[in-house]
Amino acid sequence: MEPDAGTGPRSITIQPSLDQNALDSLQFNEEIQHLMTVPPENANSFTALLELPAPQAMELLHHSPESNASAAPPFQFSGGANLTFPSNTALIERAARFSVFAAAADNNNNNSPETTGSVPSNSSGNLGKVKSEPAESDSNQDNPNSSQPNQNQKSMKRKEREKKAKAATKKSKSSAIDSNEDAEKLPYVHISGTALVLDEIINHVQSLQRQVEFLSMRLAAVNPRIDVNLDSILAAESGSLMDSNYSSMVMPLMWPELQISGNRQQYEQQWHLDAHHQPAWGREENQNFVTPENSLLSYDSSANSASLHSNHLKMEL
Amino acid sequence: MRAPNSLKQEFLKKWISGLQMCSTCSKNMSILERKKAIKLSADVAMASARNGRTCWSRALIANASKNDKDKLLVEHILGNSEFQRLNKISTMRPTMTNKRVRCKKILKRSCGTIRRVSKRVVPQKILASCVAKRLSTKRTQVLKSLVPGGEFMDDASLIEETLDYIMSLQTQIDVMRSLANATELVLSRKNEQW
Repeated sequence: MEPDAGTGPRSITIQPSLDQNALDSLQFNEEIQHLMTVPPENANSFTALLELPAPQAMELLHHSPESNASAAPPFQFSGGANLTFPSNTALIERAARFSVFAAAADNNNNNSPETTGSVPSNSSGNLGKVKSEPAESDSNQDNPNSSQPNQNQKSMKRKEREKKAKAATKKSKSSAIDSNEDAEKLPYVHISGTALVLDEIINHVQSLQRQVEFLSMRLAAVNPRIDVNLDSILAAESGSLMDSNYSSMVMPLMWPELQISGNRQQYEQQWHLDAHHQPAWGREENQNFVTPENSLLSYDSSANSASLHSNHLKMEL
Repeated sequence: MRAPNSLKQEFLKKWISGLQMCSTCSKNMSILERKKAIKLSADVAMASARNGRTCWSRALIANASKNDKDKLLVEHILGNSEFQRLNKISTMRPTMTNKRVRCKKILKRSCGTIRRVSKRVVPQKILASCVAKRLSTKRTQVLKSLVPGGEFMDDASLIEETLDYIMSLQTQIDVMRSLANATELVLSRKNEQW
């Protein structure tokens, strides 16, 4: 897009367009760098998991399917396995190749709020660490960790051993302490995130259940008898619909016509008696059932919305 | 997975038949009884619209058919053969849970020994992760109590079932609300005419 805009109006001056290209490539690099920050972070958290003492790692692994699954927003839940590694393998490979980016990303990572304990000064120590990471996350993508926890665990243990050997040779004492601090904080962050998501799910389910309660109460309050209005609704609203397949669905359920008319008059009187009680019911319902969550969910009662809903009902039928 | 509209249709069909059954059973009910009947029939209709493929719907039907009075209604909504099938499934469940409990016990024992050893080494780390874990297990317990049949699920399937349950609850709410609105509309029109 931009190169065209540059070369079109002033095709004589080649230099500026070249500059623009350079700018573009720079921006592109930045974008890549932005993208890079994602995978190493995941990989980093993962290595932090790996550097836990064995029992703790096992606990976390034991928990991993749940935590992986609920780490995603509740409605986009699909497989649960791939969620922790959203980026593709190509990106990670590139990250391994351009180790400059990897180091930069790692520095970024150290500044991120989740791993506050570390300082960017030990980047030389971390460089080796980061270089070894992409292979790990690759292997992880090959076998999704929630489905095969056993195998994963084995490979993790192996890698843990490798890690320790490396740490003995390469890392200075300070960086080892840093990683320990990370390891201490990470599980807490991880699991408390799970708890938050669980909280939201619980709230949602509760509010839905309350709505069902409320709606059934509302129906019970509106209808003096449970089903009488169904046929009268159908008669009033959907005379035209009665010919289609819909009639075959409802007709067997309908009352005989005579009975309906008889019932209806009877129940109209009944309803007028009930009408005195209804405001009281309405008030009580509001007190009992309309919580802040419910009121969010657009309990619409205006006239046009009512007509809209009758249309909606028609559509459904 | 089925399209939500057909799910709605099926739910409405089953629900209406359940409501008719209710009204023929007992003529005069108090408003609370009526509400209970409406809710029960809506729940069972929703569960049977899911066709008993999910754990929560099976558990809901099993719970509803515990009560003798409601059993008739459930049977009516489901249809006889379906009812038999689902009952068979729900009676099969206890053996499975026993196994699972035993497995958990073994696992706990093995985990416990390891934890005791590590407590001596790094008490603080364990403490932090213990607190965090307690937070999430508590919430899992709450969620299990909310979803019908949640006690019998492990953590992964619990979340799957919960999402399915949420979806069908939303369908149920949609249908119920549109029905309630339509009913109110008809009533208000009738009132104007009178």
